[in-house]
Amino acid sequence: MDTPSQHENFNHPREIGFAFHGAGADIGEKDSFRSGTKYPCTSLGCVAKSKKSCQEIKIALRESFVEIYAIKKNEESYMILGIDIGGTHTDAVCVKDNQIVATAKVITGENLVDSIVGAIQGLDMDYGVLKRVVLSTTLSTNAIIEKKYAATGMIVSAGPGVDPRNYFLSDDFHLIEGAIDHRGREYIPVRKDQILEVTEILKTNHVQGVGVISKFSVRNPSHEKTIHSLIADRFTYVSMGHRMSGSLNFPRRLHTTYFNTAVMPIQERFVRSVKDALKALGITTSILFLKADGGTYSSSAADRLPVETILSGPAASMMGGVALKKNSDTTLILDVGGTTTDIGILINGVPVLEPQGVCVGGLKTLVRGLKMLSVGAGGDSQVYISEGRLKVGPHRHGPPVCMGGPQPTPMDALCVLGEFETGDLNKAEQSLAPLARQMNKEIPELARAVVAELVETIKGACDGFIHEVNSYPVYTIHEMLHPDPVKPEQVMVIGGPAKTLKPYVEEMFQIKCLVPDHFQVANALGAALARTTAQITLLADTQLKRLICPELDVDMEIPAWYTINDLISFGNQAITDNARYLGLSDDIETDVIEQQSFNMIKDFNTTGKNLRVKIQSRPGIISGWSES
Amino acid sequence: MIQAKRKTGLIFFPAYDWEISPTHPERQERLLYTQDQVLEEGLLDIKGIKEFKAGLAREEDINRAHFCVPDVNSRITHSHNISAGGCMEAARLVLEGVVEKAFALVRPPGHHAMRVVQGARGFCNINIEAVMVEWIRKNYPHIKKIAIVDTDCHHGDGSQDIYWHDPNVLYISMHQDGRTLYPGSGFTDEFGGPGALGLTLNVPLPPRTSDQGFLHAIENLILPVLDEFKPDLIVNSAGQDNHYSDPITHMAFTARGYARLNELLDPDICVLEGGYSIESALPYINTGIILALAGVDYSFVREPDLKPEELREEPGVMDYIKELCDSILDAWHRRNNHSLPNNQFVERNRRIYYDTDSISENQLETLRFCSNCPGAFKIDTQASTGYRALCVHIPHGACKACRRQGREWFDTVKAGYYAAYLQDMDNDEYQITIL
Repeated sequence: MDTPSQHENFNHPREIGFAFHGAGADIGEKDSFRSGTKYPCTSLGCVAKSKKSCQEIKIALRESFVEIYAIKKNEESYMILGIDIGGTHTDAVCVKDNQIVATAKVITGENLVDSIVGAIQGLDMDYGVLKRVVLSTTLSTNAIIEKKYAATGMIVSAGPGVDPRNYFLSDDFHLIEGAIDHRGREYIPVRKDQILEVTEILKTNHVQGVGVISKFSVRNPSHEKTIHSLIADRFTYVSMGHRMSGSLNFPRRLHTTYFNTAVMPIQERFVRSVKDALKALGITTSILFLKADGGTYSSSAADRLPVETILSGPAASMMGGVALKKNSDTTLILDVGGTTTDIGILINGVPVLEPQGVCVGGLKTLVRGLKMLSVGAGGDSQVYISEGRLKVGPHRHGPPVCMGGPQPTPMDALCVLGEFETGDLNKAEQSLAPLARQMNKEIPELARAVVAELVETIKGACDGFIHEVNSYPVYTIHEMLHPDPVKPEQVMVIGGPAKTLKPYVEEMFQIKCLVPDHFQVANALGAALARTTAQITLLADTQLKRLICPELDVDMEIPAWYTINDLISFGNQAITDNARYLGLSDDIETDVIEQQSFNMIKDFNTTGKNLRVKIQSRPGIISGWSES
Repeated sequence: MIQAKRKTGLIFFPAYDWEISPTHPERQERLLYTQDQVLEEGLLDIKGIKEFKAGLAREEDINRAHFCVPDVNSRITHSHNISAGGCMEAARLVLEGVVEKAFALVRPPGHHAMRVVQGARGFCNINIEAVMVEWIRKNYPHIKKIAIVDTDCHHGDGSQDIYWHDPNVLYISMHQDGRTLYPGSGFTDEFGGPGALGLTLNVPLPPRTSDQGFLHAIENLILPVLDEFKPDLIVNSAGQDNHYSDPITHMAFTARGYARLNELLDPDICVLEGGYSIESALPYINTGIILALAGVDYSFVREPDLKPEELREEPGVMDYIKELCDSILDAWHRRNNHSLPNNQFVERNRRIYYDTDSISENQLETLRFCSNCPGAFKIDTQASTGYRALCVHIPHGACKACRRQGREWFDTVKAGYYAAYLQDMDNDEYQITIL
């Protein structure tokens, strides 16, 4: 009898940190042509090979999250530094032997390196036993949003379909001849003379970096490699599309490669400055960077793929949430800020990701990142009355009145209720008085209503968020018949007014609310403790006798009898062998997060198999960590 | 950035875990490369184009369109619930105004499934469009007239059968001439039942018809007919086996041609039917259709191996097609000039073959011809499996007399049948009496 992993075609629309979907059950239905096959618990596809029960597996993994990195030398202290550069503040945390020993918060200045130095100095520690330094920065995000990068060109081959020029962002995008089909077969070759012609134009326009992409390059990267070989020595910075991600989506690949190339010089300069600055502080440990999906990677990998550091801020907070909660319940995480509240969701301790990739600067990318919703309702949001109803946000007109601002905000309400001692109570009361009169309430009553309205607005956004996660299309009968909707079991609130919001949140959400200790530095802590992660995509076409792994630039011949298990073994080995290149630390656990196997037929004969696998190194927080 | 002119919903259900058999054209791989192409083109990222989850058709939804002998669950598997459910969801999205256009890219197909289902034929078990249409008529009663334009390469004999006596559903099928292809029917004299004459139109096209021929038929026959019929909703059974690369047919349609057909026809809902050139046709045709539905430029869509010069019809063929279309249009215009039947009861005797399951069936249909309503009818069906059943249909808008007749047929069924079945459309009732 075939093993279950050969029958499973699962393809998780909710691409979360690792596979979590469906209930494992004996199917035995008549449309399962191999009726009686036990579908392994697809909630943990990573252990598709094992026959353990669902419950056993969950417990084992939960424990492994915590135990996987046992402290190697018990005599030696293990110190970690985590720094998160936010829009307003830069936070730093120092963890020693699994305890937070120091925290610091400075205002983020113009120069990010100075902010980092300031935060580290604020910690005031001796870094003799420092083993790990993680940075989460807004460098790439800011550069992209503010369009502050050097002139970057793109050489694009696409062939027919949707006109690629619809996605061009500047005159430095050039379309050349060349086309590859969905099986990776070339049907229009690229022309060397045309490539050289375009190169000359780009040189004349003084572009610093050039991105190279072609349609279906993740099925066959030869066009990108040909173009690359002709231009690599002419430009300082070059990126190829197939290395960005093994996923399909040509327009996203175009933009991702463009942004990656554009921020390469910025990242390079930054890393040099940071290394120098840290050296001056006595820190020579190699630096890790936090990525949009809550994982980290090495500095050398970040040199190659700086685009993955975009949107690391929210990821830092989410990973902080993972670090600060003690169970593996499905958790909504609310990071309440001044202007917005960021919403994310953890399932089994791993954040749910945006299925196709995140958006930055208004453009969609293939960068793996959190599924997140930002709702315009925060501590400093405008409070007003509209159509007889009390409303909070989405706009913010400055700090609360009790701190000298122009208009009443929820923080003023909290001040009135005695929950915000820093603010001026009189000013807070005065700011709410007109609203109280209009609503025919006493001021304290109105203050409570304001806080409730803030939480209700956030709840409404959460409901929509969860509904969206639960509405993703599925492509197998099994998943249609066995839906496994996400249902939060607890809410974690981090951010400024977290403690005071707790009772309101419990009331509104009707589930338990956690406000962990150290929630003020959740982001820096999350950065400090995030495991290194990477993902690779493998496709084996036994008819064309070809195996391709775009992220690792593997393109090799395979025999016609290659199986899905062969592909998975190869992938696991490949990710381990290439750990350094991918920016991973040495001990990693791999998970198969997607596997599909299709028979290819011609004239009623099987001509081969189309095998598709996605493997990741398991995300989460490094082990040994426990709350002090 | 590109933007869709019309909000378009895509329901994509490739049933990656279902097949008729491992080497059958209807297998898991069928929509795999289409999905690859749609994803790589970034179609779902285009503003205004959105993907939705399929739905599940339940037994009662299927019983509105079919008499499944002995019962629904014996005749289908879960894949059919979802395929039909995907169509229903597409309809819901359009009728609720969530989108303007919807495309149910689902499998397995349905247009060879007739009203009586004694087995599977032409890879179809249940008629997914009919299940959708009946669901629409139950839940959105303001939709009175529906046109189904079936552009699959094969004659949609199942859809034709279900709407044969229905004056409110116009069924038009454009297909490869039945003398040269399965199911061997779909000729111009198949014109509808006595109470619905002209509301079934067949356009049997010669082999090797290409873009020019198809588009001529659309522009000069189908669009004028639709203009006069004025349907509340247009459904396109968009089978894609008329592509030049299809392995089991002999036409020469292209992806851009199909996109243009869609643009001209302007359907509200598209449903995938057949189409088994899964590498060389489906990815490109579906890209073209999705772009055309959304109102996005499709002029750069092209198959890798397209050679337009090789696909042109011979001049004689175009003349034949022109004449054919003229004569059908003429017949449509004269549809009300036919003499009425002399008898109250009109009979039809038919033999039907279920090729996928190797079952043969004999049907004797008796229609109570009525000038006040479409008329009740009963079908005495006997299959080689041994099942004999009496199926009674009381149509939408049935008059008192037809309703009484239908009830009488059902209530006074004699021995010799496995069961009697009753479909009462206005009351949305389905009854079975097992004998």
